Amino acid sequence: MDFASIFNVSTLLNTFNTATIVILAGLGCLMTDQAGMMNIGIDGMMTAGAFAAVMGSWLCGSWVMGLVFALAVGLLFGLFYGVFVIRFKSDEFIIGVALNIFAVAITTFILRSIPGQTGSFHPATGAVVKMPSIDLGFIAGTRVNLSVMVPLSWLLVLLCWVMLYRTPLGFWLHASGEHPESLRSVGRSPERMKFLGATLCGLFCGLSGAYLSISYLSTFTENMSASRGYVAVACVIFGRSNPPLVFLAALLFSLIDAVGQRLQGVVDPTLTSTFPYLGTILMMVLLALRNQAKKKRAA
Amino acid sequence: MKGASRRSYLISLFLSILLALVVGGVLMALTGHDPINGYQQLISGTLGLFDENGFNICVWNDRGIGNTLYKAAQLCITGLATAVAAQAGIFNVGGEGQMYLGALGSAWLGAQLSGVSPWITIPLCLLFAAVCGALYAWVPAVMKVKMGINEVITTILLNTVAIKFCTYMATGPLKTAERGINQGTDAVDKAFLFDKLIPGSSLTESIFYIAVISLIVWYLMSRTTAGYQMKLIGQNERFARFAGIPADRLAIIAMLISGAMCGLLGMFESFGLWKRFRPDFSNEFYFDGMLVAMIMRYQPLGIVLMSLFFGVLKMGGAAMQSQAGISSVLIQIIQSIIIFFMAAEEGILQNLRARRAVSAAKRQTVKEG
Repeated sequence: MDFASIFNVSTLLNTFNTATIVILAGLGCLMTDQAGMMNIGIDGMMTAGAFAAVMGSWLCGSWVMGLVFALAVGLLFGLFYGVFVIRFKSDEFIIGVALNIFAVAITTFILRSIPGQTGSFHPATGAVVKMPSIDLGFIAGTRVNLSVMVPLSWLLVLLCWVMLYRTPLGFWLHASGEHPESLRSVGRSPERMKFLGATLCGLFCGLSGAYLSISYLSTFTENMSASRGYVAVACVIFGRSNPPLVFLAALLFSLIDAVGQRLQGVVDPTLTSTFPYLGTILMMVLLALRNQAKKKRAA
Repeated sequence: MKGASRRSYLISLFLSILLALVVGGVLMALTGHDPINGYQQLISGTLGLFDENGFNICVWNDRGIGNTLYKAAQLCITGLATAVAAQAGIFNVGGEGQMYLGALGSAWLGAQLSGVSPWITIPLCLLFAAVCGALYAWVPAVMKVKMGINEVITTILLNTVAIKFCTYMATGPLKTAERGINQGTDAVDKAFLFDKLIPGSSLTESIFYIAVISLIVWYLMSRTTAGYQMKLIGQNERFARFAGIPADRLAIIAMLISGAMCGLLGMFESFGLWKRFRPDFSNEFYFDGMLVAMIMRYQPLGIVLMSLFFGVLKMGGAAMQSQAGISSVLIQIIQSIIIFFMAAEEGILQNLRARRAVSAAKRQTVKEG
């Protein structure tokens, strides 16, 4: 096994494809993080979005409807999270964990109540329509097919950065988490801004789920997010809630994932599939150590 | 919790459970099942059969009761494991991984020591299972205390790592040579296994171990200085630090205890039911217990009582699935709804009180005007 067989075009393509799941979920998570809420529940929001996307695409025979369903369900979950955490002042950790369990359970329940479906969705009639992809032709002997969501997610990273750091709206969103009282003193409601954060989070997680189920794959499987939501939370912490940095963290995570998949000929595939999780933890440790060193130097 | 606040808490709990069960019933009806029949199957699968009126249980279901007690014991030890850590201000979401390592470690040791006296082997295996679980909990605890890394995320990610690692071991290096078993370690010597207490059910002698562990943990949490100090940290960490309580050390100790308990449960599952380590032995057991602990706000006595109730729900869910064709994930939906209500309980009550105050004030102004 040589260098070229591990790092080639198809590894890179794999990296971009899996990174998109984490990038979109990460954008959602950082919206709540900016508003001062730690949302552990994005994993569940993604699962719900993925399920809604498959249902919409299958029932209406169009990927656009899949997307609409996923966004609607994402919005609903975002509002739900907002009502409990902002209005009822519940513990965000407990709500997040419960939301994850609820999302997996309700999607599994609905899936199993469709005749003949358990484990994953395989419709007898009709099909799940996938999102379109862009054919870039052959690059270095590998056919490159990119989902439209991949470049779109990059655009969204840019837009989110502009929104958060170059518009008053982003400033207010950040203030609602950091200094809610100062925000109130200028006549803005921090609660309303926090709700905006939670809603945007739901929408992005719905989008991430839709990409996962009707673009990256074309089916829904029970518990399909596979803890990627938590990886996204880790990326948000790693990237200090700054969209471009979160984007880079997600790419790094996906690169580890893709290289792990390449190594499957040498190392057992069950073992290589732990790499991205271990890599994420390692990333967090390195960041913490760097911050500690910085603090020491300052002192 | 004292007096009025405890009473209001119990009323909220009762209403939350009732409402969640109603939602569960509605979901059954929406998917074309009879809710009354569904809940009856749930009871007859766990406790016993109803008489003709459908109100009193006339035939007790021994097997069902055994399975319910087995599940309740499992919920109790995992719930208490969550509570020990949470009361000290550190969340252990990684119990599943700690349980897997405890199960693999003890089953491996048990198979290695075949032929040795059970009086030596069983304590050694208990110790090894506890150490495996505790060490795996120690890693995220140290990362949290020394580096400030969020333990919720690290423990969740470490779960996936542990499960995959144990699956690899049981299908690769430690796979048994026995025929017909494609994933699992070597069988543990019969002399070391826990005997069944009720034939045909999953209830084994391990329930006595769990009872002893639960008593020790309850004593530690509510009757010792360390337990009191842990509680202070969980309630107000800054105050506790000002008062000179070694918060960092206690958080690590709490996490070690929590991990050890999960590791032990792994051994009880392996030695009680499967005779070996099997990578598919758990169905997210730890998370069920964690939910119970959250609902009961990490109160040890409440967790023990609530475990019995959820034991009925969980085991009844399986009966509901086989007898009435209603998917058992419905129980998870009911559980999460109870948590939503209980987590929002104070907020909802405050909102209601504020609204009542506003309308009372309005009435007052109308009267005066």
